[in-house]
Formats: sequence, structure tokens, C-alpha cells
Amino acid sequence: MPELAIEADGLTKVYGSLTAVDHVHLEVPAGSIFGLLGPNGAGKTTIIKLLTGLVDITDGSARVAGYDVRTHPMQVKQRIGWVAAEVILDDDFTAWENLWLQAKLHRLVGWKGRAEELLQYFNLSDRKQDKVATFSTGMRKKLEISLALLHQPSVIFMDEPTIGLDPSTRRMLWDLISGVNREFGVTVLLTSHYMEEADQLCGSISIIDHGRFVASGTPTELKSRVTADLVELETSQALTPETLRALPGVTDVRTQGSTWILRTTSSEALLPRLFASLQTDSIRRINVERPSLETVFLDLTGRRLDQVGTEVRDYRKFYATMRRARQ
Amino acid sequence: MSTETPFVNLPAPAPVLGEGSVGQWSQFSGLYVREILRTFRNPLVLLVTVAQPFMWLAFFGSSFSGAPAGLVSSLFGTNSYIAFLLPGVLSTSMLTIGMFGAMSTIQDKRFGFMKRILLTPTSKATVFLAKALGSTTRGMVGIPIMITAALIFGVHFQGDPLMWAGWFSGLILLGFGFSCLFLAVTASSTDWQTPGVLSNFITMPLMFASGALLPLDNFPSWMQTIARYNPVSFSALLGRGIVVHGTANWTYLGELGIFAGAMALIGTLVASRYMRVE
Repeated sequence: MPELAIEADGLTKVYGSLTAVDHVHLEVPAGSIFGLLGPNGAGKTTIIKLLTGLVDITDGSARVAGYDVRTHPMQVKQRIGWVAAEVILDDDFTAWENLWLQAKLHRLVGWKGRAEELLQYFNLSDRKQDKVATFSTGMRKKLEISLALLHQPSVIFMDEPTIGLDPSTRRMLWDLISGVNREFGVTVLLTSHYMEEADQLCGSISIIDHGRFVASGTPTELKSRVTADLVELETSQALTPETLRALPGVTDVRTQGSTWILRTTSSEALLPRLFASLQTDSIRRINVERPSLETVFLDLTGRRLDQVGTEVRDYRKFYATMRRARQ
Repeated sequence: MSTETPFVNLPAPAPVLGEGSVGQWSQFSGLYVREILRTFRNPLVLLVTVAQPFMWLAFFGSSFSGAPAGLVSSLFGTNSYIAFLLPGVLSTSMLTIGMFGAMSTIQDKRFGFMKRILLTPTSKATVFLAKALGSTTRGMVGIPIMITAALIFGVHFQGDPLMWAGWFSGLILLGFGFSCLFLAVTASSTDWQTPGVLSNFITMPLMFASGALLPLDNFPSWMQTIARYNPVSFSALLGRGIVVHGTANWTYLGELGIFAGAMALIGTLVASRYMRVE
């Protein structure tokens, strides 16, 4: 296996007038977990589609599992697994039949032993003859990961793996993802808009916004970029950047809509002075952010992850609709 | 595949049949079986498949049962309108089977299953052919049921086994050709309604401008011209010659072969280029 499981240079995708992915540079060492972090619509899924050969690359190059995506897409596809955000399985089929089809699509022979082992690993053995339509969301996710691992890929792409899951299922999945990486030796590239998830799972992260990487590094490196606290402030009182900047300890002032974002060396020192300088009843909202991946994003883009991309899909509703439609 | 990857408590990786896009048979057979299972696990599909031929024959086939025998045989060349009609109805039914393959493909695009397929070493051409053959197979199931229904209605057939095999081959080619046509036209579509609209659009002219339901002799010359190049006619006239008169005009089978081959070729090219992933 090559040292770099995924490498991309100047990777660009243009849809009409929209540049969905803009000259992205990516190096993912084999055996690591890499996170693409950013809001919905930032270009995370498009990067996965480009790296897996699902859509054509407009410009730049990409190599996955040692093969050029453009010239050897089939060789790449033989070596990658994929876990979708919305869990894509054949609901009318049993778990075993889904595995069977995946084996056929990967031209595997003698796959049954491995399939049994995977079902056992994911605690699905006793449900293998049941239709997938009867599975809980967590079980469906596990089966999907089993499908992705069946042909022993060297790289797995996971698109928003825990979106729409309840907290306990999410934690279970985090354990599974790190387990898959550790025990199966698979390189994982996952996308997420949950900072906590990326912080917990990924060895390195790139933060993406509007198709561009705005920062890359280990979670610790990224967090150390923001040494200051961020104070978000919303008031009914008219304020100017100058008044705010004049406050002692304030190093930077930015505005996002009606919200002010103050960067400060110490929020403990700033807050009493801030209250003293404002009409107290004019404060609508005040929020202090300690350095975290969330503040890194806030600091880099002036927006919060959950503020961007208002069309967050209700995946529970989506799953339910899908099931009904298939019945 | 890489074999250096350490494994814990897991068996050796399953061997792969080869590299790259060398072979697509495994993928094709998997997708084809999936189509068939999905179709026939739905009890409603089975019920309609069985019931529909009976309804055709019962309602439409009986429409001349009260007519004087002389009128029927002078119009249709046989005293059984059902015998005359059967090859035509079977040919007409092949017109619409492509709709199912197209709908199944659109469903796969909308539910993301197409992504699951195309993220494996499976080519778009393989997906296309599996869908086309899947919907052709689905259409074929109606044939023996229809013939049984006609026998129950007391129809006597002509022709020898070889002729009948030729006639069935013609129907398969017709169904396959139209399945390819539907899939090619809807390759870039993700709208549920497209296959239905297309089906309605092509069924009417192709059904009536053919010898499927009525003898060509009474058509105006422009309709006869359309009918001469209409694949539905090829199949209807081939079948009618065999089951009504016991004579086979194999030219029609050749023409059906050309139709199916051309549609498969064009469809494969179109699908490889334009089939959308989602």
C-alpha cells in the first residue's frame, strides 16, 4: 500500500457558474482517519464524489489507493468502500442478500466467510435473514459499513456518518469507526459538520468553506491557532467597531449580521468592562467561546458551523419517507 | 488488492476475479437477479401480470363474439378474433415493459442506489444492460399466461414448435429493443413521471399504426407506410402468420433482430455517456 492513501492537487470541480471545489490540496497518510469539516454545501460531498470517480474532475489531479482517479477509475473503485450519509441499502432484501449483491458488484468469490465474520463483528448475525426494512437506523448503518468492508478496501469514504443519529448511536458509531480503522487497517476519510466528532475521531482535519480549505492540521494544532476567547454579542444598542475595539483586552472586532464577534485575550477580564460600558438592558445575547474547533471555524469564517447551510435535511423524516416509498 | 493490511480475527480477503473493467459478468448477473427479485417479490406485480392478459382477452377479444362468423373471417382471415388478436396484444404489451426498467433506474438514482452500484467496479453499460434485460424478462412472464388464457377461451393454434420458438424470440427481441429505447431516453432523467409519459406517448401511435389489433389491408396508405417500419408490426405479423395460418415469415424476425441490436448499441452508448448517478 502506498504511504499516502489519498492525494489530491489543485482538485477543482465547476458546475456551470458554481465552483463547488476550488483547488484543493489533500494528503492523507495510509491508515489514518482524516476529517473534512465544514458546513452543508461547503463542498465536502463533492470532494468525495471526485475522489471516488463518481463525477468528473474539472481540473487538478487525484490519486486514491495508489491509482489515478482519472485514468484508472475501476482500479480505484475496487479498493474503496463507501458509507452514505442517508444509508443506502436495498430495503426489500435481507441483510445477507445485500451482502451478496455487494460481493457480485465487487466480483468477489468465496466471500461468505468474511461476510459472516463482519456480521458477527457488527452484532448482526442473528438478523442476517431479515429484511433490511425492519432494521433500526443504527443496524442499517452497521450493515452499510459491513458492505463497505466486504471487499477489504484500503480506503473508506464516510459521508456524514452520524448525521440524524441519536447521541448513543452516534457514540457507538464513533467506536465502530475507530475500531474499523484500528482493527481493519483501513484509511478513513470522513466528512462532518460536527466539530466534536472530528475532534474525537480524526488524526488530521481540513476545514472547508465555499469549496476551499481554510485550515488544515491535527485537531490540537487547529485549536492552538485560536488562543483567544471569542465573545459573541447581540445588543439593541447601536455600537461602532471603534467603541468595542477601545475596550481593554479586545484584539479584534468583527460583525456578522446583527452579531458582534470580539476576540479577546481573556474573556474574564473583558466581560465586566463590557457590561460597564453598555446599557445593561440592551444586551440581547452574549456568548463566550473557549478555543475549540467550533471557534476555529468561527474565527476563520466569521460564521458558526450550524448557522451556515440552513437547509439541514431532516434525515429522520427522510429515512421514513424512503421506507414508505419502498413499501 | 493490498494484502499487507493487518487483520484482527478476520479471514483472508475474498479473492477478486480480476482487475479493472476486464469482466462485468458478475456485476451484470448480480444486478439482473436483483431486478427480477425486486419485481416478483411484490405480490401486486404478480397479480397484475396474471390478471391483465385475461382481462384483455375477456373484454377486447370478445368484442366480435356476437358478430356473424362470416364477417369475422372476412375481416380477420380466421373465425377467431382472439387468435387474430393474441400476437398483436403480446406485441403491444412489449411496448410498455421498458417503462418498468426505466422506472426502476430512476428509483435507484433517487434513492442513491445508483451511487452504491457505480462506486463498485461496475460500468454504466452493465447497469444499462441488466436493467434492459430485467424489464424484458418481466414482460416475458405474461406470454405463457396469455397463451394459457387463450387456450382456456377455446382458441386453436397453428404452427410447429420451431415456429413458436421463433415467434417467442421475436417477442423477446421486441421487448428488449423497447426496454433499451426507454432506458436510453430516460438515461439522464430523475423524474418519476418521465417513463409513464413516454409510454403513453409512444404506445398509442405504435399500437394503432401497426398490424397488432386490426388487419393492415384497411389502413390508409400513410398508416401502412408507418406500419411497414413499425417493430410492433414485425412481431404481430410474424406471430399471426404462425398461430393463425401456420406459416412463418422469418424476414420479420430478422428485422426484429436488427431493431433490438440497434437499440442495444445506441442505448449502451447513450447510457455510458449520459446516465446520471443521482
